Amino acid sequence: MEAAKRWRVSAGESEAWMDRAVHMAKDALENGEVPVGCLMVYNNEIVGKGRNEVNETKNATRHAEMVAIDQVLDWCQQHKKKPEEVFTHTVLYVTVEPCIMCAAALRMMKIPLVVYGCQNERFGGCGSVLNISSATLTDTGEPFQCIAGYRSEEAVEMLKTFYRQENPNAPKSKVRKKEFSK
Amino acid sequence: MEPNSKRRKTAEPDGASSWEVQPVLSEQESQGIRLMPVYAAPVLDKKETCRLVKEVSAVYPLSDYPHLKRIRACLSVGSPHPLEIILCLASLNGEQAGLRSLTELFPSGQVDLCGLGKPFLAQVPACAPLTRPQYEEAVLHWPVSFHENKRITQALKGCLFSPLEKAAMQNHMELAIHTAQQGARQGMEPVGAAVVDPATGRVLAVGHDCRGGSNPLLHAAMVCIDLVAHSHGGGAYSYKDHPACTFLHVDNNAQHPPLGDGLPYICTGYDMYLTREPCMMCAMALVHSRIQRVFYGTPSPHGALGTAHHIHSRRDLNHRYEVFRGILEDQCKRLARLSDHKESG
Ligand SMILES: [Zn+2]
Ligand SMILES: [Zn+2]
Repeated sequence: MEAAKRWRVSAGESEAWMDRAVHMAKDALENGEVPVGCLMVYNNEIVGKGRNEVNETKNATRHAEMVAIDQVLDWCQQHKKKPEEVFTHTVLYVTVEPCIMCAAALRMMKIPLVVYGCQNERFGGCGSVLNISSATLTDTGEPFQCIAGYRSEEAVEMLKTFYRQENPNAPKSKVRKKEFSK
Repeated sequence: MEPNSKRRKTAEPDGASSWEVQPVLSEQESQGIRLMPVYAAPVLDKKETCRLVKEVSAVYPLSDYPHLKRIRACLSVGSPHPLEIILCLASLNGEQAGLRSLTELFPSGQVDLCGLGKPFLAQVPACAPLTRPQYEEAVLHWPVSFHENKRITQALKGCLFSPLEKAAMQNHMELAIHTAQQGARQGMEPVGAAVVDPATGRVLAVGHDCRGGSNPLLHAAMVCIDLVAHSHGGGAYSYKDHPACTFLHVDNNAQHPPLGDGLPYICTGYDMYLTREPCMMCAMALVHSRIQRVFYGTPSPHGALGTAHHIHSRRDLNHRYEVFRGILEDQCKRLARLSDHKESG
């Protein structure tokens, strides 16, 4: 019954946006930040561009996806659009599988499709730990579709590099301590 | 406190009331016991028991089921034989063709069958009991060993907390309820929360659900996590439109134990009081925030702790927190009436 509602993007379109997301993650890594790229795309326009803000806000829930959702809400307000109308036509492109918390949040916002890179073995909410994206959950919006695996090796590699920098036994870098808590 | 709560027949003058705090255990600890079929046989001659256990165990060890006792005393008083012995596991559905005989079960004569009666199928507990209720249920089927977790037993009996601690819990939940009412007056979902440092007893943050405002994700727990971040000099949202959402300024260095690696697990060691069981997003946000304990008043049909999912106690997540429910449950339940005109959620 959901088939008619399935959200479609062409493979070319997905790849192009994922390239942008991977680029964001690279930038983040070079700046000593959690290497996650995250884009919300509505009508072929970027309406949210989240980065992990856990450290500066001291709020462990400020994952890139949560930050991006807030940006879309702001965008809706600026453009006098109904959030429901925008979110139900927005695709999330993110280099790492959203965690359980973010997946629940994405459901509640009724995002129809998430395209992501690598698995999130520790917290993944789109199948790695729990399957929030497709589970039957009351009062938690709608299930969303997932397309996984775009440039996943690069996404994993960046995370590994970030961890290596974080390792206190590794050569000291000027990089401030950051956490990865996707 | 609201006037109607003073009228409660259960309220007592000393502030103690009829609520009871119950632990919300993990899925494994709260479920009923699972049974599995085994072949057992009567031990006709008690004097053979020792030898039979040794010989049968050598052929069919129960090494994956160390909780199972090999022998049980016969259940019925008038039983012609005193003991029964587990021979081996039986397949779940493979025995329709009929029970196997002793010689089929021990075809190569490794066991001297003298003293054994006719085999029968028995249902025995498949896992070791984790709680006293599970143990009591398990031994109705077959004797098992039980390594009792005294803390869980005490918690289940409702005697984990002293009257003094319960009075403090009540105070904190009253704060959360009061804040929920203030939020409801602004048209918000009537859910409140408070974060307390149990080491000092200080309330670090109180907040209410703000999802009725501009951000549908600002559930009470998310608000309170952010308020605690504010109290430590961070924070992501402004609460100027919600004056009931407040936090205490904490001197980061003096008041908070050094955080592991300087990482912002800002709720480490703290308790959160919530008038209602949190949803999946909030329950996981509390994992990310490294909360120590969560106390909620009333379960929610959409809750992700005791009602379903048990997000606080999953072994595959890297942080677990203790959960208790039932604090001022009636008052917390009554909050829902403040939004009865709205869609619940
Ligand atoms: Zn997340
Ligand atoms: Zn919630």
